[in-house]
Amino acid sequence: MATIIEARNLSKRYGSFLALDQVSFSLQPGRIVGLIGRNGAGKTTALKAILGLTPYQGSVQVLGMEPARDRNALMSQVCFIADAAVLPRWLTVAHAIDYVAGVHPRFDRKRAEQVLATTSIRRASRVGELSKGMITQLHLALILAIDARLLVLDEPTLGLDLVYRRQFYDALLNDYVDKERTILLTTHQVEELENLLTDVLFIDRGRVVLDAAVDDLPGRFQQLTVAAGKIEAARTLNPFHVRELFGRTIMLYEGRPAHSLAGLGELRTPSIADLFVAKMQVATP
Amino acid sequence: MKALPIQVQREFWEHRGLWIVPLAIAAVMLLAAAVFGHIQFDFSSAATHYDGPVPPPLVELVVLGWTVPFFLAAAIQATAYLIDCLYGERRDRSILFWRSMPVTDARGVLVKLLVGLVLVPLGAAVIAAATSLVGSAILVLRNQELLINGHGVAALWDALAWLRMQAIILYGLLAAMLWYAPFAAYLMLVSVWARRSPYVWVFVPPVLLIILEHMIFGTNYVGRLFDGGVNQLLHLAFRLEEHGDVAVGAMVNTPDDSDIENLRFSMQMLSPLNLLASVRLWCGLLAAAAMLALTIRLRRYRDDS
Repeated sequence: MATIIEARNLSKRYGSFLALDQVSFSLQPGRIVGLIGRNGAGKTTALKAILGLTPYQGSVQVLGMEPARDRNALMSQVCFIADAAVLPRWLTVAHAIDYVAGVHPRFDRKRAEQVLATTSIRRASRVGELSKGMITQLHLALILAIDARLLVLDEPTLGLDLVYRRQFYDALLNDYVDKERTILLTTHQVEELENLLTDVLFIDRGRVVLDAAVDDLPGRFQQLTVAAGKIEAARTLNPFHVRELFGRTIMLYEGRPAHSLAGLGELRTPSIADLFVAKMQVATP
Repeated sequence: MKALPIQVQREFWEHRGLWIVPLAIAAVMLLAAAVFGHIQFDFSSAATHYDGPVPPPLVELVVLGWTVPFFLAAAIQATAYLIDCLYGERRDRSILFWRSMPVTDARGVLVKLLVGLVLVPLGAAVIAAATSLVGSAILVLRNQELLINGHGVAALWDALAWLRMQAIILYGLLAAMLWYAPFAAYLMLVSVWARRSPYVWVFVPPVLLIILEHMIFGTNYVGRLFDGGVNQLLHLAFRLEEHGDVAVGAMVNTPDDSDIENLRFSMQMLSPLNLLASVRLWCGLLAAAAMLALTIRLRRYRDDS
């Protein structure tokens, strides 16, 4: 199957602020990609460009289409959840289903009803009467019922409690993910996504600082908790990040095989969260 | 096209007043007909007989009068709706949801125009027409004991006149839709453009233009564009001169007997060709198209969500 997203030299400027600076990346089918960055790093801007919601420089192809030009055709194959609470407060649950069923050719009403049946959301309720967690459940139920090839999620669990967050990602994994469908999502809660993502894309001040498959991380990155007396030896091997924790020194290496670090201390693969923090601190000392 | 009904419904879900208000007016009017609909010829005595001339366009005048509150409300509601329709979705950020659906911006904007410019007034006309029948029936029932020139009040009812009046109203409505299309497009443009207070922004550009024109040229062409529109429309769309030059406004307010005697509602008073030959109408429609294109463009490329 063809590439889902192909972005080349994508740039976006808001006045004098460069939100995206020559960003290039591609997304393959069936992957779950985390677009991870600090506040204002350009995550949402990148998603907006991909969805054709904002003008940009450079080229983006999504499912072989140009988002800004073919937005309508694109939106029948791409689903999008911006952060919670963009469903209008006046809309009732039943009407929300009616509406999507009416305008979306790939919506399966039965499927949405099934997903909703697992929640405590009542059909007659207005969105304004639902809690933030329930609104997200409703939005997810609508989206999961659409046979889309790409799902774009922008901070979908922002402001939700842990239980709702867990339910959200479980539903996503159980009902949505298969070989054909691709998910691109941004989030702050990196820790909770460790086991979900297949790829990570770190972005900082409009630039991609890491683009890697999660499966490749163990071969590429090493986290060394340096043994006593080995600090100088470990330093000479050029760690890209060093931090002190409880009196111990932790060093991160990129592109250095595990055997070359053997004997210097305790080795493991860094978590995505640790890697993210380290990359951000290196980029912005 | 399959999606059109649900897209229209969506507008009425959001703006519930668009269907509640005309129904409420209908209820109030019917209630008023039932409670106050007893006709008294002479307040000093309880006379139940009337002998004398009955103004011929009685049914027409009743229908026209009955329709006025519906149309007044529809005009106010349509204006408020058009000012809010593209601003509200940005205010509550629901535009991100609407735009995540496979609906083009052009379609989204045109559906809202259809609702504000066509369906709201048309709905008012339909509800007014339906309730005018019920209202007439109530008035007849309430005044059963009255005799006019020896006949019951039901004899005054004239189905043909009612139908003719509906046709005239519908025609007037159609003319007004064309005439006010640029106004509607302007309201939508403000709605899609304003970052806040669209109600204020509706007034700012015309007032500024009027002041500037007055200061620079000492003229008032812009001002005249905004007032006098109704009169010009009436004189273009209807042949009023041939009926003793009775302006509709004067007719409704204080008609004296001679005017009413002269007044005949007929299909001959419609002058569609006259209206279609109006330069102002076509300039307005062109301006409307341009403003709509701009509105669609702004909704598509505006990125402030």
